[in-house]
Parts: sequence; structure tokens; C-alpha cells
Amino acid sequence: MDSFLDQVEACVPALRRYARALTRNLDLADDLVQDCLERAISRRGLFRPSGPVRAWLFTILLNLYRNSLRTARHQPSTVDFDSIAEPSTPAPQPGHLALAEMARAIDTLPLEQKEALLLVALEGLPYAEAAAILKIPQGTLMSRLGRARAALRLATGTPAEPHLRTVK
Amino acid sequence: MTEITRDMLMAYADGQLEADQRLLVEAHLATNPEAAAEVALLQRQSDAIHTLFDPVVAEPVPARLRPRRIAAEASSRRLQSWRWAAAAVVLVGLGLGLGWFGRPLLSGAPPSQTLIADAVNAHTVFVAENRHAVEVPATDEDHLTAWLSNRLATPLGTPDLTGEGFTLVGGRLLPGQPDAGGRAAQLMYENTAKDRITVYVTAALPDRTPAYQFADAGGAEAFYWANSRITCTVVGSLPDDQMKAVSQAVYRQMTEGDVTAGQAYRG
Repeated sequence: MDSFLDQVEACVPALRRYARALTRNLDLADDLVQDCLERAISRRGLFRPSGPVRAWLFTILLNLYRNSLRTARHQPSTVDFDSIAEPSTPAPQPGHLALAEMARAIDTLPLEQKEALLLVALEGLPYAEAAAILKIPQGTLMSRLGRARAALRLATGTPAEPHLRTVK
Repeated sequence: MTEITRDMLMAYADGQLEADQRLLVEAHLATNPEAAAEVALLQRQSDAIHTLFDPVVAEPVPARLRPRRIAAEASSRRLQSWRWAAAAVVLVGLGLGLGWFGRPLLSGAPPSQTLIADAVNAHTVFVAENRHAVEVPATDEDHLTAWLSNRLATPLGTPDLTGEGFTLVGGRLLPGQPDAGGRAAQLMYENTAKDRITVYVTAALPDRTPAYQFADAGGAEAFYWANSRITCTVVGSLPDDQMKAVSQAVYRQMTEGDVTAGQAYRG
């Protein structure tokens, strides 16, 4: 029981980060995480001890987020980027993607691509775990990731070719 | 040479490949600048995403997101709701109890009315019987009075009504209302004309106050009184004079020695 709470606690920073990236709003994100934790803790009896706690928590968080979108018709892309807490970001360097541009590009992704991309690129989850959380086959996950990556590339106006020269 | 797909490049960039496949991709990248650029771009995208959102992880976690606090609040809420549930059960129980025991108060029917109605009902049922009019016949009178006194938990004698032309047939025990005297004893008398009267006796009512009542109950007449020891209802369908005389005789004998019996029935 205590080890369960410890496992949950270890996931809180990642859940907050993921929720913040999804909602782009500090309060909304933390509300989402709080709902998720309350639900998880009140239903821990239904939790299968064999499954990883992390995947279960992300599943609950995503369900809550999707429900909130469905009921409130909340549009994350309308949240002003200036309204989120200023991350301590270095000024864009040559060869780096402009961060604000990238943030806006992520916001405009379809939800199914955004949630997949953030699970893998931000949270670093294995494909299998991300696919399980999203309840899709791994092939579907990879095609969503591919489309998300391509959309980001287009939206950030960074064609592959010029960088090809500058990287190596 | 193994074909390296775009998916493999992406999986490589995402750090998802096993060691052997990773080596394959790296060999491919070394000789294929386009693929290397593709991988570099994917990695820059991931880097940018991390740069955007990793600072969240370094933020202190607000207290409301601490699992132990949430668990403690959930269990105190559970306890709270148990308390509310328990309180609700107690209140419902109280309400039921008050309602149940307050029935005589609320129904508007005084116990005397219940007793008279019961006495008349019992009278109607048993005076019509021939072989089973009584449970214990008059031939066993000592046993009858001892038994009924025990069951009613109050000493009960059988009035002598020979002066009015009636002899004891016998008696029986009947159920009653717990809040209106409890079980009842019915004594039956008969005259030579086969007219029957019954005397319906219970222990005293909870309030023990003396009361007198004469009731005409559809064909039968009932004379009721209560004192601190018993309630008694004489039921019969006799002419008025005779009914009065019988009632007075019963009353006189049943209240003998009762200091609290109050005034005698005067008709």
C-alpha cells in the first residue's frame, strides 16, 4: 500500500509535465493531475499489481483529458503561449528550432498525434507502453508519430535539407 | 545490406532500438548523410520538446498533488461519509421508533376505543360458538383464574353474576396491543335464555388513569372502564336495564378492594 503511494509519487513530476504539454496551462494541468491521482488512489483496489503503475496513471490522465475536451470543448491551441510559466530557455541557437514556433506547432497537432508524440518524445516511454496506454497497435502508434514529426517539420519551416549540411 | 526504413530511423532517434539493430542503423547513417540528417532533425525536435517542458519536472510539486495527502483526505472523506451514513441510520431509526410508539398519540384513537373494538370483535366471534365458545370451561375455574392472572400479570377473579341470572361458561386468552393493556382475558357468561355476555379484561393502560365509557357497537353494547390495575369491557346485547345491572355487578366485584378504583358506575 505504501509502496503503491511511493510509485505514484514518483510519477507525479512526469504526469505534471505531460499534462502541461497537453494543456499548455499550469492550473488546468495540475487540476488534471489532481483528478488523476484522486481517481487512481481511490481505485487502487482495482489496480492489477502486475501492470506498471506509470502506464495506468497515464491512461487515467489521458481519459480525463479527453473527457474534459469533450465536455468543455476546450481548445488548447487558444491558450496564449505567454500565459504559461516561462521555462528557463536559452535563446534559440543557430541550428536549433525556435522554441515558440515548436510549441505552437505542437498545439496545432491533432490530439491523437500530440498525445502519442508527447508520450514518446517527451516522456520517453517505450513504443509498446505508449501503444498500450493509447490502446492502439504499435504500428498505428508509429504512423501517428511519423505524421506528427512530419507536421512539426512543416510547421516549424525547417526543411531537412539545409540542416543536413550544417549538422555534420 | 538490410534495408533501413524510416520507421527504423525514427525508432533509432527515439532510442527504442535493441543493441543489434542500433548498430545496423549507425552503420547505415555513417554512409548515408540524408538518413543522418533525418535522424538529427528528429532528435532536434525531441530536444526542443524537452527544452520546452522539462522545466516542469524541476518545479516543486504543489501539496495538493502529494499522493499521501490525497490518500489521507480520501480516507477521512470515507470516514466522514460513514459517519453521515451512521447518523442517517440512527435518525431513521429514531423516526421509525417515535412513529411506531407514538401511533396511539397520532392515530387519534384512544386506547379505550381500541379495547372496546377488540372486546366487541371477540364477543361477536365467540358467543356464536357452541363447542368452542371457551378455552377453559367453568368446571375448571380455579385453573382458569390462575392461568389468566399469570398471563395478564394481574390478579383476576371471575365475578359472580348469579344474582343477574348469569353463570360462568369459561374463559380464554386473547392477543392484544402491547401499548393498550397487552393480552386480554375473555370471560363468558350465559343465562337460561342462552343470552351470552363477555367480560374482556386486560392489565392497566400505561397512563393508569380511571376512565368510563359506554359504547353502542352495532347490535352489541359495551361498558368500558379502566383503573390503575385493569381495563374491563363488558359486552352484550341485552335490554338496557339488564345490561346496566350486569355491568354494575361486574364493576363492583372487579374493583372490590381497589382504593384507586374511583367512583362507582351509576348508569
